[in-house]
Amino acid sequence: MATIHDEIDNYLAADLHDELSEEERSALHMHLVECATCRRAHQENKIMNKILEEKFAAEKPDTAFEQRMLAGFRNRIPQRGAGVAKFIVDLLRLRSAQITAVAAVLLALVQVGRMITGEGATSPRHRKTFELAQAPVTRDQEYETRSAEYKAALAELENLNKQVDAPALSSDAKKEKINERDEKIADVKNRERELQAFASAKVAPTKMPQGGSAPEDASPTNERTIVAGLNIPTAEEVGQNPADTYRRDEVTRLGVRAPTDRIQRIPSAQGSTAPETGNEPLAVMAAPASKTSPTVPAALANRKLIRNASVDLEIVSFDDAVQKITAFTNEERGYVATTSSEKQENGKLKGEIVVKVLPENLDRFLQKIRRLGELKNQTLGTEDITKAYFDSESRLKNARVMEQRLIDMLKKKSDDINDLLQVEKELGRVREEIEKMQGDLKFWDSQVQFATVTISLAEKDMEEAAKFLLKERAQLALYSPEVEKVYNDIKALASLKVQITNAQLDRDSSGRVSARISMLIVPEESDGVIGKVKAMGRVENFQMQTERVAQGGEGMSENAKTKRDKVELNITISRDEQEQAFQQTNLRIRTSSVDEKAKGLRSLAEKQSGRVRSSSFSRDPDGREFANVTLRVPMKNYSALMQSLDSLGKVENVSVQRQDRTGAQIDEANAPADLSIQVYSQGNIVSSNAGLFATLRRTIAQSAAAIMWSLRMIGVAIAFLAPWVMALVAVIWVTRRIVRARRQK
Amino acid sequence: MMDANDREVYRAAIHGDRDAFEMIIRTNSRALFAIAYGILQNREEAEDAVQDALVKAWKSRWRVRDPEKFPAWLSMIARHRARDVFRKRRTVPLSEKMIEQIEPETADTSGLDRQLHSALAALPELHRSALALRYFEELDYQSIEKLLGLSNGALRGILGRGLASMRKQLKPALASLE
Repeated sequence: MATIHDEIDNYLAADLHDELSEEERSALHMHLVECATCRRAHQENKIMNKILEEKFAAEKPDTAFEQRMLAGFRNRIPQRGAGVAKFIVDLLRLRSAQITAVAAVLLALVQVGRMITGEGATSPRHRKTFELAQAPVTRDQEYETRSAEYKAALAELENLNKQVDAPALSSDAKKEKINERDEKIADVKNRERELQAFASAKVAPTKMPQGGSAPEDASPTNERTIVAGLNIPTAEEVGQNPADTYRRDEVTRLGVRAPTDRIQRIPSAQGSTAPETGNEPLAVMAAPASKTSPTVPAALANRKLIRNASVDLEIVSFDDAVQKITAFTNEERGYVATTSSEKQENGKLKGEIVVKVLPENLDRFLQKIRRLGELKNQTLGTEDITKAYFDSESRLKNARVMEQRLIDMLKKKSDDINDLLQVEKELGRVREEIEKMQGDLKFWDSQVQFATVTISLAEKDMEEAAKFLLKERAQLALYSPEVEKVYNDIKALASLKVQITNAQLDRDSSGRVSARISMLIVPEESDGVIGKVKAMGRVENFQMQTERVAQGGEGMSENAKTKRDKVELNITISRDEQEQAFQQTNLRIRTSSVDEKAKGLRSLAEKQSGRVRSSSFSRDPDGREFANVTLRVPMKNYSALMQSLDSLGKVENVSVQRQDRTGAQIDEANAPADLSIQVYSQGNIVSSNAGLFATLRRTIAQSAAAIMWSLRMIGVAIAFLAPWVMALVAVIWVTRRIVRARRQK
Repeated sequence: MMDANDREVYRAAIHGDRDAFEMIIRTNSRALFAIAYGILQNREEAEDAVQDALVKAWKSRWRVRDPEKFPAWLSMIARHRARDVFRKRRTVPLSEKMIEQIEPETADTSGLDRQLHSALAALPELHRSALALRYFEELDYQSIEKLLGLSNGALRGILGRGLASMRKQLKPALASLE
């Protein structure tokens, strides 16, 4: 335990600074009474304290210190307006904000993932219900706006009427006004008709076949059928406006029929329900469907529809088919408008018949026609010209009114000749218009009255070939010592029946000659000519190719004739040296006297009517000698030569390579065989590869190679790592920049 | 423990409340000055160091998570800053011996002042800072310990040793004063 005397310095200081507890102070004072040294120190400390107090009091910052600090701070960090960036940065420092941000980022990533994988956020059923509920509302709105427009147009018309009747108007101005009014009348009528059509269409969805009583019920009805397990078409399939689709389909398909018929038809047209399966939905459907039926014929009567059909048939006999079609047409009280037929090269017929039948008999007629042959294609189209028709009709009425008015004007006999001329001209224009419109209407009437059926007929095996052509093509490669002679001989073969189409003699810079000849030979002569050519040299290759080409059609035909075409012969002639050896042999002969044996080899070859093609001689530093000789002998002398080689020395490493040419007619006995022979000596017994220096050299070379290899590997490693290191450094750099930037704020 | 009001001020300052930070400047800058003075022994330099330290503290305030530690952190920044200034200042305060050589011992106050200065200079930096805090601000030991990041009770030893060593160095001068 340390005594007060030991720690007197601490005690004294604490005493001066008034930091001693009561006990400590009394203990200190007791000690000071006893110990003179400590008393002395105490005295000195007191003085020290005083000096220090004075010293520090002098150095103490003045009263304005805080103000200076504050001013300096404000000066160096100017107060910034609460910028958005600052706000965000401050916000991000809150833990809760950080968590929210992370959550938001995760959610965004999930959403992006969904978009990429194409998985919809909402289920298809939701979408469908939404659209179904949506459609009636928009239709209602559209109806509202249209009726408002109609009313506005009516009011304008009223206004115009008043202006026309006003007495204080010049004749020109009056005419203008009248024109304007007429246009307005047409416009108002159009609007009225559209509005009516729209109103009837708008009523339709309320009487949908599913039995929904009001547009709002569309989605519940839908749900019910899903429960029944039936295949409801999606909104896309049904289209923007299911009710409309259903109506048009109905009208074109059914024509005028009994109400009972409709009850069965409606659901199948909608493609959704099946009366056979669901008993309960059938009962629900039957009642509203029968209610709807009276509206349909009324709507139909107003409609002008042009029906067209086209049918492609494949039949056995064209004439039969035409007869039957005519009969069917008469049965259905129609008529045949046009017929056309065409005979093909191979004797088959094809043609087109245009038939007009009453629209209501069209379906039955098509059924009958289908039985005539194989149906290739059928289209059935309906064009609704109601709007255009009634537009023209009302324009016609207007034009007639106009015409009458102009006639009245003429009758009034104005004095001004110019006016009269003007009226005359106008009358002419109006009449022309009337005629045109009448023509249009008549045309449409005729189109609507009868449905047009276009039947394309084609007999079976239309594409059958008319005849065949047998094309022969031959290729011949010849080897000859005298290329030019053979070339001229072949050219001399040319006659009326042998045509030379191409002849070419090539001589290159090294003096090699080759020739190419193409000729056409009449079929009867071909075998003879080819035989003659073959005899002129050694045949290296001969190929014959026959092709049967169908003409005027394709495929097989039993009746078509076959004709032989001219034979095309291509000949190439080259010198026999260029000929590839039929057999290639490599061998080595070990002997002590290389030079001598190589010469012996030469004479051996000549004996067997062979030729030396190349030879070389070399000696390496170890005293080994090599002689390489290449020979060519005819195949018939090959084995004799091989046997005689044994006399030269020890034959080693024999390898034989034979190129059999399949399909080629060659003269094997005379075919060339190549021999490549290496004659060599053993040389010195001790190789220079042994010994100290050689070993040293090898060692150094190998170690250098090892160093090079490792250098390469290091390079590879650097190349492999460098991009990653660079990326890492870049990331760290960017992060530090960001951190620094944040700190600067 | 820090009182709740102070802690609230520190917390607000950490979250970027300028007014709170200015409040802290008002209350703490003298203590910071004392620390800087303890290191530099020069008023102008110490003031600059405190100024720099305050700016730096504002910029990096987001580094402090715990408001309790804010004052100690602030004084640490001031200390570092002061040391930087000290290091840049090439001119080292003259040692006692050199002064003795140049000027013989005198009893007059300017001589005493110089002696005192060099005695202070000879003290370790921590001791000087503790003395400055004590004599400038008359803070109690506990606050000083907290500001300097010392453990409880360590200051008594530091001040005791500091005073004792000064006493020994200034003995002749003190004797003449007596």
